[in-house]
Amino acid sequence: MMSQDKRNVNKQTTGHVWDDDLEELTNPLPMWWVWGFYITCVFAIVYWLLYPAWPVASSYTKGLPAINTITYTATTVDGKEVQKTTHWNMRSKFMAEMNELKAAQKQWFDKVASTSYEAVASDADLMQFVNSAGKTLFTDNCMPCHQAGGQGKIGIAPNLTDDYWQYGGSYQQINTTIVAGRHGVMPAFKQVLSADELNQVVNYVLSLSGEPHNADKAKAGDSLFHGPKAGCYVCHGDDAKGKVELGSANLTDKIWLWADVAGAANEQEKVTLLTNLIYAGINRGVMPAWSARLNPEQIKLLTVYVHDSLGGGK
Amino acid sequence: MATTSTINKEQYDYDIIRKFTIMTLVWGVVGMLVGVYIASELAFPVLNFDIPYITFGRLRPVHTGAVIFGFGGSALFATSYYVVQRTCQTPLFAKGLANFTFWGWQAVIVFAALGDVMGHTQGREYAEMEWPIDLLIEVVWVAYLVVFVGTLMRRKQPHIYVANWFYLAFILATALLHTFNNLAVPVSLFSMKSYSLFSGAQDAMTQWWYGHNAVGFFLTAAFLGMMYYFVPKQAGRPVYSYRLSVLHFWALVFMYMWAGAHHLHWTAIPDWTSTLAATFSIMLLLPSWGGMVNGILTLSGAWDKMRTDPIMRFLIVALSFYGMSTFEGPMMSLKDVNALSHYTDWTVGHVHSGALGWVAMVSFGSLYHLIPKLWNTQTYSNRLINVHFWLATIGILLYITAMWISGIMQGLMWRAFDDFGNLQYSFIESVAAAHNLYVMRAIGGLFFLSGMVVMVYNMTKTIRSGKV
Repeated sequence: MMSQDKRNVNKQTTGHVWDDDLEELTNPLPMWWVWGFYITCVFAIVYWLLYPAWPVASSYTKGLPAINTITYTATTVDGKEVQKTTHWNMRSKFMAEMNELKAAQKQWFDKVASTSYEAVASDADLMQFVNSAGKTLFTDNCMPCHQAGGQGKIGIAPNLTDDYWQYGGSYQQINTTIVAGRHGVMPAFKQVLSADELNQVVNYVLSLSGEPHNADKAKAGDSLFHGPKAGCYVCHGDDAKGKVELGSANLTDKIWLWADVAGAANEQEKVTLLTNLIYAGINRGVMPAWSARLNPEQIKLLTVYVHDSLGGGK
Repeated sequence: MATTSTINKEQYDYDIIRKFTIMTLVWGVVGMLVGVYIASELAFPVLNFDIPYITFGRLRPVHTGAVIFGFGGSALFATSYYVVQRTCQTPLFAKGLANFTFWGWQAVIVFAALGDVMGHTQGREYAEMEWPIDLLIEVVWVAYLVVFVGTLMRRKQPHIYVANWFYLAFILATALLHTFNNLAVPVSLFSMKSYSLFSGAQDAMTQWWYGHNAVGFFLTAAFLGMMYYFVPKQAGRPVYSYRLSVLHFWALVFMYMWAGAHHLHWTAIPDWTSTLAATFSIMLLLPSWGGMVNGILTLSGAWDKMRTDPIMRFLIVALSFYGMSTFEGPMMSLKDVNALSHYTDWTVGHVHSGALGWVAMVSFGSLYHLIPKLWNTQTYSNRLINVHFWLATIGILLYITAMWISGIMQGLMWRAFDDFGNLQYSFIESVAAAHNLYVMRAIGGLFFLSGMVVMVYNMTKTIRSGKV
């Protein structure tokens, strides 16, 4: 470029002068620049032949079918598979690429679908697929609440790796949870219990998991818990171990979901956390239904993933 | 060469230029500081401090507004008012109106930043300002056009210097873009909220027709105008080729307008719009390069100035970054490249190689030339200009290298499949993988900001010694 410049540089100016000394030379256009421009024009024309490009009336040029078409398989509304060949377009390209990936996945998903949960779990090859597909399905869908490793987050969603299953840890129960979602509710007791009574129930609940508490108050709380006024036993059970049918919490297992009682700094804080919870109730225990977003094979696979790859005791 | 000026230098209206020059420095520091802060937020989200007003989403438009419209805009007002007076040999037309453009424009930047922080936004990139601010911009811009054209019409010589073509194209195109992109219906007279006149894909197309041409006319054509005055002035040499200026000017302004839809590849716009945008972006490559070629070859025969003159170094390195990012842009506008680069940090790196490397560097060079002249004095320290040059250059290199790596990494991770046909990575893994690169980017930004602070110190000293 530079050696060429020297040849091109002449002292000829256009004859105009601005602001004392601003002038323009009459150098010709650099030839590489001109040819570079022509080459980009040729490139553009080739591009126009490959892809839809120019609007014409109410349609547009579609590219030359001889050099750029896309073939893909689509499923019609009545479930039939049809092969289509079209000019290049984004949607068809997407379909064709998804066809390819789905074909790679299909044999594996088919196997998962036609194999019992237990048999999937004991088949090392199939489990490799479950872990590969499950990891992405889980992190893209479940992780925002249940966290990256399924460890859950207090106040948001339960831990999926411990031994406790609020709604049951069998394959069928987990599947139902994913398909239909869950909605856990505890009523607010602010209208039902006086401040003293509330405090007694709180002390009783603390006593259930061996947390520091006032024994006298806990005793009174015991009666309230199992009596008609508070009636906690109706959902949490006589033994306070919760009921899988209701998803009511086991209050004896030292696992806390809605308030970090175990992690609280002192007795006072533990009492406050539990008091607030029982006072106001809980209506946050919502897991969405995934049947509208994931297909049955994906949900079955996720069930195995949660049960066998993440889950603790069932 | 020695034509006699028909105007005494004292008659030029420098006061307005001085004001805009000072605000260029102020907004430069503010905008870049906010940039470094939000870059740090991305690396360390704890810096949000759970305060909604300073989250990334709200501070990001404060950053873009302060650097593009505050720093870049003020630099353009200052240099265009300087160049148009000197090359037309006439004082500014309608001084009062010019003064209004100063106060009006500064108000726009302040109100826009307040609006962003308070959460008032149209959600249109580089046009987040809600309708009352848009109306103020409209008025200020028309005043700018009147001042500029009025001055051009009072010129003392028949030919209009090339820098003024670019400035005028920038003013006209920005008026057009701003008006159509912001057509919106306010919810009520007393509400900040408004709704766009367009909907769906049309709205997106309008937004990116604006967004792309804001880059094309505000950040490219206008700064080419700056280049066409300050490069030959600083080099003391004639512009390399008049013919090249004419040709690349018209090719640039014609081609740019077609290319906006390349920001919307692989979305719900018609395929043909995206193809046309890609091809016009490719055909834009050489017209864009015309400015670089003309600027760099202007120096031919005086290359030693690159060693001896730090201002020249700013200007020529700016042109090199300009050439690099106007090559990168067309490549990224190809459908298949874009499938990899879109939504990744590559885009962020690309825009910063243009914004830091070209826009900011050419402004720095021009201001270092301009400020001693405006205050009728000598530069306080040439060594500090050199320090600024290296801080800025290292900063840019750190920044764009980090973004290239993280951008391409993100693009590859998002499309990686394993042998089963399953996605190999979840989104969050790509976020985690970018962490170190985000730290590197913030450090690059810090270098660039430090250079800006050195400039402010150097120029404050210079201005203090001024004889005005």
